Amino acid sequence: MALSVKAPTELRLPVPGDGPRAAVRGSDSVRRMDAPGWGMVDDGVVARLRAIVGAEHVKVDDGAVAAFARDATPLYAARPDVVVLPGSTEEVAAVMRLATSERLPVVPRGAGSNLSAATLADAGGIVVVLTRLDRIVEVDGDELLAVVQTGVTTSALASAAAARGLLYVPDPGSKTVSTVGGNVATCAGGLRGLKYGVTRNYVLGLEAVLATGEVVRTGGRLWKDVAGYDLTRLLTGSEGTLAVITEVTVALVPMPPATGTGVAYFASLADAGRAVARIIADGVVPATLEFLDRKCINAVEDFAGLGLDRDAGALLLFGDDGASDLVEQNLSRMARSCEKEGATGVTMAREVAESEALLAARRCALPALARLAPVTVLEDVGVPRPRIAEMVDRIDAIAARHGVTVATFGHAGDGNLHPTAVLDPADEDAAARTKAVIGDIFDAAIELGGTITGEHGVGAAKLPWLPARLGAEQMALLSRIKTAFDPAGVLNPGKTGSVFEPGDDGEVGR
Amino acid sequence: MTGDDEAAAPASGPLLDPAAFARVPGQVDTGDHGAHARGIFDVELLDRCISCGFCLPVCPTYALDKDEQSSPRGRITLMRALESGRLEPDDPVLQHEASYCLGCRACETVCPAGVEYGPMLEQWRDHQWRAGHGPRLARWLRWAVERRAMLRLSGLVRRFARTRGPVSDASPHVMLGCAERALFPSVSRAAVSLVPGADAPAEQGCCGALHAHNGDSAGGRAMAERLGQDLPGTIVTTSGGCAAHVAEHLGRDRVAEISDYLTRTGWAPAGRLMTTGADGKPRPVRVSLQDSCHLRNGLGVSGQPRELLERIAEYVEAPSAASCCGAAGSYSMLRPRDSKRVLAPKLDEIEQLGVDYVVAVNPGCLLQLKQGLLARRSRVKAVHLVELLIRAA
Repeated sequence: MALSVKAPTELRLPVPGDGPRAAVRGSDSVRRMDAPGWGMVDDGVVARLRAIVGAEHVKVDDGAVAAFARDATPLYAARPDVVVLPGSTEEVAAVMRLATSERLPVVPRGAGSNLSAATLADAGGIVVVLTRLDRIVEVDGDELLAVVQTGVTTSALASAAAARGLLYVPDPGSKTVSTVGGNVATCAGGLRGLKYGVTRNYVLGLEAVLATGEVVRTGGRLWKDVAGYDLTRLLTGSEGTLAVITEVTVALVPMPPATGTGVAYFASLADAGRAVARIIADGVVPATLEFLDRKCINAVEDFAGLGLDRDAGALLLFGDDGASDLVEQNLSRMARSCEKEGATGVTMAREVAESEALLAARRCALPALARLAPVTVLEDVGVPRPRIAEMVDRIDAIAARHGVTVATFGHAGDGNLHPTAVLDPADEDAAARTKAVIGDIFDAAIELGGTITGEHGVGAAKLPWLPARLGAEQMALLSRIKTAFDPAGVLNPGKTGSVFEPGDDGEVGR
Repeated sequence: MTGDDEAAAPASGPLLDPAAFARVPGQVDTGDHGAHARGIFDVELLDRCISCGFCLPVCPTYALDKDEQSSPRGRITLMRALESGRLEPDDPVLQHEASYCLGCRACETVCPAGVEYGPMLEQWRDHQWRAGHGPRLARWLRWAVERRAMLRLSGLVRRFARTRGPVSDASPHVMLGCAERALFPSVSRAAVSLVPGADAPAEQGCCGALHAHNGDSAGGRAMAERLGQDLPGTIVTTSGGCAAHVAEHLGRDRVAEISDYLTRTGWAPAGRLMTTGADGKPRPVRVSLQDSCHLRNGLGVSGQPRELLERIAEYVEAPSAASCCGAAGSYSMLRPRDSKRVLAPKLDEIEQLGVDYVVAVNPGCLLQLKQGLLARRSRVKAVHLVELLIRAA
């Protein structure tokens, strides 16, 4: 359906009544929410939370809640009324029972490294921080799986697996800080999408607490299991709107014995795009296939001085892993595919150190761009693989039209692009223009048969554009699913699944 | 943000128009990003944080508590709330976090946006610990190290290094330090022996790092500049923390931390240090290193002390060598309990390495490790780098 929600000017809160909550200071030094429908975080609630998790794990001071006002999303912040750090699944369940009975918003939070304002407490209420649940329960080399509590960092899980010669595949850019629970909640991606898939492909089972306090265990230790709806997959990517994930069982794979990397330069992104198609048509499904546009190449070169070709229109990083002879063979084939499509230069790295040097070009993309200006808006869209070059052209045209600097890098293998806007503070209405750019980029992605988010999630930041991607029927279905899991609507309100209503001007709000 | 909050917050600067990002009219909150009201911080530094959170896993206090509030990103959020006026200047959480932070600057090494946390922490403490607000002990320490006559006289009792032989302004000048010359006089004596033709005049004050890290960055700068006059030419120091502070104010080329100096000038030992093993046979001495945070994170000097140790002994890298030991300048005195919480897992690790010595390149770390190991009656000894080098010279 032809929905166009460019300027979300008329949005409704997912609660009865209009407008934002009124946050006022109560005489009891606890801020209250006077929005109709929501309960109040008063002294009684705080006392009950303290009884559940212990007084030292409940925070209500101004400064303490201020620190939890934001995640990694630029320009979004909202202070919760109270922050709790539970130490067990039972404590999470007790907090949820209290929240549902008192009708208090609950925002589950891991490390707060998401880029879609998914942990924004925009209705106030309780932020439930899960970082204390950080135990690696087991790594089983025979069953090829690991069981971890939700607050274990992605890197800690990967290290524990590596110590047993195993690989935990999903590797989001934030893996040193992000939690496994957060990765599951956002279905985090990474650099290995094409060959290996993303987080959802590695989640076997979950322990989760429903809004009403019941603890459910979905899936388990089985690769094949079709008993009932696939709730594991439903909860994966649900962004804390359906349940609070407390434990995760993940699949591991044997560590590939060898990896190899190469770099190819092209005169234009269109050439690089054709090379990507050629690589796959020639029968290789590479573990790594990343690209940088010209602006990224120059920003990286300014920042790190790696000796990249500044005149190139695009840089393609390709790589594979597996048995060493096969890796060697696939690298040569990919290099030939690039040359056939007019690569202006190809560099191969067969040693680990050389590979690392090439990968550095991709890893520095964000730091290099972040140094250009105080505010960096890292976006995330997806298009079908053959349309990457077309999409980048459109992004450049949109950015030029609005006078905003946007550089693009991303995962060429799976069509996931990261247009990154850098905002100059001297520029008066830079934020407004950047927002317009983002809206236009989403429209363009949808037009090309793509999506408004490949791996970062919807959160509060992209919810206004979700109807354009899904259509009214799916939006309504999401709301009904949400209601089935969370009848009081307390879990992460204002995000995916929250009740939406058509706005006054006929546009679909939420 | 409601009307109430807006009324409470002073007008913010025109960096960005937050309304442009409003999803609901009137509901606007950028987390004080770009709000410049009180003039406490250098706002260009404050704006640079993109809040990605990459700093969380390397922060020693976040590792202890797993609490955003006690992470570098959380603290920058707090600094922004202070700058914008959203939090009261004497908010108890601000007070707590300004002093709970070790100031180790490990966060800077992993920051993709190049945030300079060190200077921001100094500005934060300048405000938080302004006249009459800071810890009394910090004020006393600042007073003590300003007493140049007392520092000079401590040489009578503690016998720190003296200049030997003829010297000139062109000679490398060995810095004696304030605490170090009284606590560990053998360190400066070893340094002067290792640096040929070194001048170590007794008439030199404290470098001012203690001031800068304890709420008086202006005083810290003035003392560094005075030291630059006392010690012309290259200043050789055995203290990583002082090296970083002096380099910040006098320029990187004026300062050479001792391991940096010795590797650059090609120092070579006479032989390797040996000891007797449990089987009665001689074996090489086994050593490990504790990095100085400001030397490593502020000046980027980390390979040099390792290189020197590998030349004289069997070197074993401790997995957490690069993370703070909890000394953190005067932190071990101002927050002794937290300092010990940071130190404890490190001592467990050091004891499991099977080394004879753990080597420090900063007097604060040396004292911290010595006291911690002594309290455990550990067999491992803490020494300064130059105390081992001089034995192999």
